[in-house]
Amino acid sequence: MKKNKIFAVFAILVISFVYQSCTNLDEVTYDQLSTSEYGTTSSEIASLVGPIYRTYIYNFPSGFFYLSEAAGDMAVVPTRKGGDWWDGGAFKEFCMHKWTSNSSMVRNPYNYATSGISVCNQIYSIVEGSSAISDENKKVTLAEIRGVRAFWYYLLCDNYGNVPIVTDFKDTSNPVTKTRKEVYEFIVSELNDIKDIVRSDVSTSSYGKITRGVVYTLLAKMYLNAMVWNPTGGAKWQECINACNEVMKLPYVIESNYKASFTTHNEDSKEIIFPIVYDACQGPNCLQLMTLHNLDRIALNLNCSPWNGVCAMPNYVKAYDSSDLRLGWSFLTGKMIDPSTGLVLITSQGRELNHTVDVTMKYSVDDDGWGQVEQEDGARCFKWEYATGLGTYMDNDLAIFRLADVYLMKAECLVRLGQDNAEATRLVNVIRARAFTDASKLKSSVTLDDIYNERRFEFAWEMTCRQDMIRFGTFLNPITGWKGASDSKYLLFPIPQTALDANPSLKQNPGY
Amino acid sequence: MHYKFMKNFYESGGGICPIPKKLLLVMKLTAFLIVVLTMQVTATVYSQNKKLSLNMQGNTIKEVLQQIEAQSEYRFIYENEKVNLDAKVSIRVKDEVVENILKQLFAKDGINYSITDNNLILINPSDKQMNNWGKESINSQQQKSVSGKVTDSSGAPLPGVSVVVKGTTNGTITDVNGKYLLTNIPASITLQFSFIGMKTQEIAVNGKTLINVKLEEEAVGIDEVVAVGYGTQTKRSISGSVSNVSEKNFNKGVNQTAIDLLKGKVAGLTITQASGDVTEDQTIRLRGVSSLTGSSQPFVVVDGVPGVSINSVAPQDIESISILKDASAAAIYGSRSASGVILITTKKGKKDTPTVEYDGYVGISNVTNMPDLLTAQEWRDYCSKNSINTTGIDLGANTNWFDAIMRTGISQNQSFSLSGGGANSNYRASINYMDVDGVVKDNSIERYNARLTFNQKALDNMLDLSFTGALTVRDYSPTDTKNFILACNMIPVVPIKNEDGSWYESTEFDHGNPLHNIELNKFSNKNSVYYGDFIANLNLFKGFNANLNLLKERSTNDYGEYLDSETERGRDYLGLATREGWTNDRNLLEATVNYKKTIKNHDLNFLAGYSYENTHYQSFGARNRQFVTDSFGFNNLSAGEDLQSGDVWSSANMSKLISFFGRLNYSFKERYILALALRRDGSSKFGDNHKWGTFPSISGAWHVSEEPFLKSMSYIDDLKFRVGYGVSGNQDGIEPYKSLELYGASGKYYDSGSWYSAYQISQNANPDLKWEETSMFNIGLDFGFFKNRLNGTLEYYNKKTNDLLYNYSVPVPPNIYPTTLANVGAMTNKGFELLLNADVIRKENLRWTVSVNLAHNKNEITKLSNATYSTSAILTGSAFVRGGSYNTTHIVEEGKAVGTFYGYKCLGLDSDGKFIFDDMIDGVTGLTSDDRTYIGCAQPKLTYGFSSAVSWKKWDLNLFFRGVYGNDVLNFNRLAYATTQWLPGGNCLSEALESGLTDTPQYSSYYIEKGSFLRLDNASLGYSFDTAKLKFIQKMRIYVTGQNLFTITKYKGLDPEVEMAGLDPGIEGRTYYPKSRTWLIGLNINF
Repeated sequence: MKKNKIFAVFAILVISFVYQSCTNLDEVTYDQLSTSEYGTTSSEIASLVGPIYRTYIYNFPSGFFYLSEAAGDMAVVPTRKGGDWWDGGAFKEFCMHKWTSNSSMVRNPYNYATSGISVCNQIYSIVEGSSAISDENKKVTLAEIRGVRAFWYYLLCDNYGNVPIVTDFKDTSNPVTKTRKEVYEFIVSELNDIKDIVRSDVSTSSYGKITRGVVYTLLAKMYLNAMVWNPTGGAKWQECINACNEVMKLPYVIESNYKASFTTHNEDSKEIIFPIVYDACQGPNCLQLMTLHNLDRIALNLNCSPWNGVCAMPNYVKAYDSSDLRLGWSFLTGKMIDPSTGLVLITSQGRELNHTVDVTMKYSVDDDGWGQVEQEDGARCFKWEYATGLGTYMDNDLAIFRLADVYLMKAECLVRLGQDNAEATRLVNVIRARAFTDASKLKSSVTLDDIYNERRFEFAWEMTCRQDMIRFGTFLNPITGWKGASDSKYLLFPIPQTALDANPSLKQNPGY
Repeated sequence: MHYKFMKNFYESGGGICPIPKKLLLVMKLTAFLIVVLTMQVTATVYSQNKKLSLNMQGNTIKEVLQQIEAQSEYRFIYENEKVNLDAKVSIRVKDEVVENILKQLFAKDGINYSITDNNLILINPSDKQMNNWGKESINSQQQKSVSGKVTDSSGAPLPGVSVVVKGTTNGTITDVNGKYLLTNIPASITLQFSFIGMKTQEIAVNGKTLINVKLEEEAVGIDEVVAVGYGTQTKRSISGSVSNVSEKNFNKGVNQTAIDLLKGKVAGLTITQASGDVTEDQTIRLRGVSSLTGSSQPFVVVDGVPGVSINSVAPQDIESISILKDASAAAIYGSRSASGVILITTKKGKKDTPTVEYDGYVGISNVTNMPDLLTAQEWRDYCSKNSINTTGIDLGANTNWFDAIMRTGISQNQSFSLSGGGANSNYRASINYMDVDGVVKDNSIERYNARLTFNQKALDNMLDLSFTGALTVRDYSPTDTKNFILACNMIPVVPIKNEDGSWYESTEFDHGNPLHNIELNKFSNKNSVYYGDFIANLNLFKGFNANLNLLKERSTNDYGEYLDSETERGRDYLGLATREGWTNDRNLLEATVNYKKTIKNHDLNFLAGYSYENTHYQSFGARNRQFVTDSFGFNNLSAGEDLQSGDVWSSANMSKLISFFGRLNYSFKERYILALALRRDGSSKFGDNHKWGTFPSISGAWHVSEEPFLKSMSYIDDLKFRVGYGVSGNQDGIEPYKSLELYGASGKYYDSGSWYSAYQISQNANPDLKWEETSMFNIGLDFGFFKNRLNGTLEYYNKKTNDLLYNYSVPVPPNIYPTTLANVGAMTNKGFELLLNADVIRKENLRWTVSVNLAHNKNEITKLSNATYSTSAILTGSAFVRGGSYNTTHIVEEGKAVGTFYGYKCLGLDSDGKFIFDDMIDGVTGLTSDDRTYIGCAQPKLTYGFSSAVSWKKWDLNLFFRGVYGNDVLNFNRLAYATTQWLPGGNCLSEALESGLTDTPQYSSYYIEKGSFLRLDNASLGYSFDTAKLKFIQKMRIYVTGQNLFTITKYKGLDPEVEMAGLDPGIEGRTYYPKSRTWLIGLNINF
């Protein structure tokens, strides 16, 4: 009897425990939010729309920076004495136009762009389905998201050409490759759809966002490169001029001080149309680490340990007129002085820290002519201001589009159309005027070559090099001392192997 | 021949029934033994004058005895076949002492009995009866009497020892004084003296009339009780693959955790100390790697509490450790057991033996090997020989940077415990203090362990309650491995400190003063684990137990880090202070019922259980930079002036595991054994489509040596053939919420001059996410020959793991992220294991036992892709030398083992000292990335251990060797530093001056070396004092131990034993912490 009672109590205890919590395996989330529960108020919507611009920040200045400058002839990451920056030949491959679909430098920007598009689609579907925002607000917000997406497609169209077009987040099927022509037409159509819906103000609150100015500049870029990206569609020079004119109607100005667009607080520059906004506290802009030598830390009074990587291609620097102020505004050259002693800094190799323009391969030169250069060789990027005491991340924003670009695009189209050379010359001279103290350096008329060169002088390090070279037909040319003529397949980057592995519906670009 | 132990709580709940000798658990017997052995020293705990009252009419004697047991502490011991207790008696007594009751009871049956001081009543047949038995079966001409005394090794008399004429069932048991008498015995026979827990002795009579016998305690035997998960079994009755190591076979020396005790002892269990860092956890692999992303660490269970940190038990508190090696044994732990299960049993208080034990040691450690870098003189010689201008570089100093950061490490361990118990309760309390200094100046750990176990019986012994409280507090600083890089790079001709006493510093790439770092930077962890565990065991009726286990556990960690603004580590931040803390709470409820039943020759044991476990984890952290003064360290974060995005964070998550499980053990005549187990696990971490998993297992054993046809072969003591198959799971690779689509905070976005918090989908959802599933077939043979002087185990297994988790590339869009965690791949591990123990010399004063274990495992990835997720190969591992960012070292590919090195094959150096790589791997001249090939494998073909234990009189000497054979190691130090290219600005290995290499070092087979080694891991010499004459001391031993004494290897680096975790094992990296050699002296005293 007694035993039975004890057993009964025991059994009831156990069964009640078991029953109470028997099979409920739902996860309670604490530090994250269920997608079905969040996004119901306008401030929540705002926090979800915000990340569309965040998608940009990791891709510059690293991923797309290399695609433009290192595949073009603006910059190079030479292998330094001892093997620094050899990295399995990744940078040699880039410089010599021998990249493959397995190259991480090809892979990373592609992944950034495609995931940026996916984020846009996701946010688009949230906003579209939200009842928390007004119809008018919704219309503008959706246009803004399409603008961000169009910018990503612009980068894909430029670099990879044939990519899938995905706009529906809920469609989870494997997307198929579209031709570059289709991609081009999609972007142009998207931009035309939204150009009159997006905000048009040029103000602190529109800074860094998709605005009318950005959309028209992007349209101008599309039309400017139409002969490359959609040759069967014919030239669009006039359309480009029209788009540039629309931008020029907006209250952007060519800053009288060239440096204004590159200072630590360049958000005040009225020349910038579309910046990627960075902050020293947010990261991750560390261009200074990528380019400077360790000991430049002392010479420039920084609080960071740079990696001694990318420098300018010698011929790019040598092409500058020696009186062009942009030479000094863009490149750090010469002997670096220790401010505390006034003496030239000595590297651990026992050499003076002298950033020569020449980058000379001296050591371990292989059959391709690639070898190692002195640690201190090469002109370093000096375009964006290095704040005193600069730490790991830079505050400076990176202008993807600025008004000077619009001026030169318009000038280029005028020249290409054979129209109004005077206006073209005027536009070029506006740019040149602030680069020279000597008025004799202004042009009396301009040729296509002049435009090409002016773009190179003006936009060093600004990620326009490859696109311009391709449009002007110089991209496949040999570079003396570095590479021979390249195969035309290199006009496009390959679709990364990982993307092909993940999605059998994708097609590789021709030749790879 | 059968014995009876009446009133056995564990077995019969007070009933009397014949129990086959071999089923008696040692646990109970140990308790019994101790009663007997200690009665000389222990005062009578129970008055023999206790008065009993009985009124029984027409009951059997057995029932009367049962009643006496019920009323008193007396227990009866007798031989089943010789004493007939079925006679009906009537007895009526009131307030009578037991002696008088027994007199009355046995008056006419010719039964002798004796009562020990400790309430044990031995029942012997009278001499008359015995003589009759003798006549029955022995038909011999010369018959006589033999008598004598049986004692234990200390000379104390042993009552209750069975003395049997070999080959018959005739014999007797010893009386309370250990004496026996056999009459009418043929002179030519052999007597067997056996007592459970002691080694059986056989002595030929050969005409002797007086035979005194000293019995020795049984070594590890087949009646040893082994934890098997939710219960115990004797080794004899186990059909799965279970290895058990008990205290006396543990490794000696500086043992931080339970794992150190086992290193090299268990075939198939590979324990790797990846570095000399005394705070670093070891990598434990049982039967190979079985996961691509999960940890592959075995699941740890301490005293029935699953999922406990291995750090939460001090090695001194451990009695034995069981390793469930195959799935048929481990499947009872379901979705967490695929990498094996380690069951730790701690020491408990023993009845009537109050013991105070002290165990302590002090040790010193020194580094065994340091990189052979250029000395200042060698550096100067090189520079002058090569006409290098060293002005401004050579500051005239002679510095050995490695020496500067190393020291002699001092370790100590102090451990106290007290234990004891009475009739209804027992207890053990222990406290342990350990302080170990690494040989690098910033590396140390201080640990306190406290543990209290209290066990109380209640409700007339029906209910057994036990409470355990355990506490582990660890303060430790892992070493900052960056300093090894600095110590290699810094040149030997610059000083540690300038003449003015300030620190010398260099801001060149990977340069900086490592000692400056060590002296001023702090990495401090304060870690605690505490838990309370309550177990109630109700023995409701005979053979039926219900068990409830409740656990509350909390682990916390508080981390503080300060990187001083002047040092290499902190200068970029102008001082960086970080604090981070986390708390993990775990609640567990387990309820089991267990029913045992013996029907004739059939033994059945049925277990069913339910388990509910939930965990809640939370963490927070903050850091700040740019401190005006370094004096706050990490203690005043608000004093910093540069708070950045992401500098404050917190997180929390939960998970739940719900399980139902059951097991059935069946054995027929102890000859044929069958075990079936099933567990059903549901985990909140699994995706919606796979919330529940089922893990079945089956195993059987054939105890060949129990067959009559083998009984006659006296040299075979034990022969058992086992076979098993089971399915187990691994859910280590799945973090909470991994299957869901969630919004997580995702940094800040810019709007109108300010930064706001952004939210974003934080991962690709995968509702199909589930455990990794391992199915294993195991076949084993246990054997013991020549009185068990040679015994061992041979096993073969075939293990297949499916649904391997890996982050697969998926198309973006439609996905947001380029990888999704998914169950896709498969791999196999096949291998064999051999364990061999031999008593080479077994003499009274000299004993020598040796033990060898060998294991071979072959790992192969069999599948990496399915219809949804695919990858051709995973290139992984980082060969980061300056300029090697994108280099990978390993490949994970179908048909290859995890740990396969992949790179260029180096055919040698040409006359200019340049590498000659095989560029024809892809069939085309010219070196491309397709010329990379398989250049080695980090997994050994064989791992082995060899131990030797010699005892001579009071001395004992233990040697323990272990090693591996057939593995490759990437000598990264050579890749990074065996080059002159950084001279004069950076230092290099001396080898660089001799190797003739002029090329830039590049990852290739040139740096892959054979990693086979044999190491004298442990040598220990001890002396046990003769404490027989000392009144208060029961046991005293002093010992000297050396650890890591020497290594025989062809490997040129610091140590061939390197990190074996992850997909890129087998690299002695640039940040390798050199190992140390330790000498220690220790003392163990029992009061």
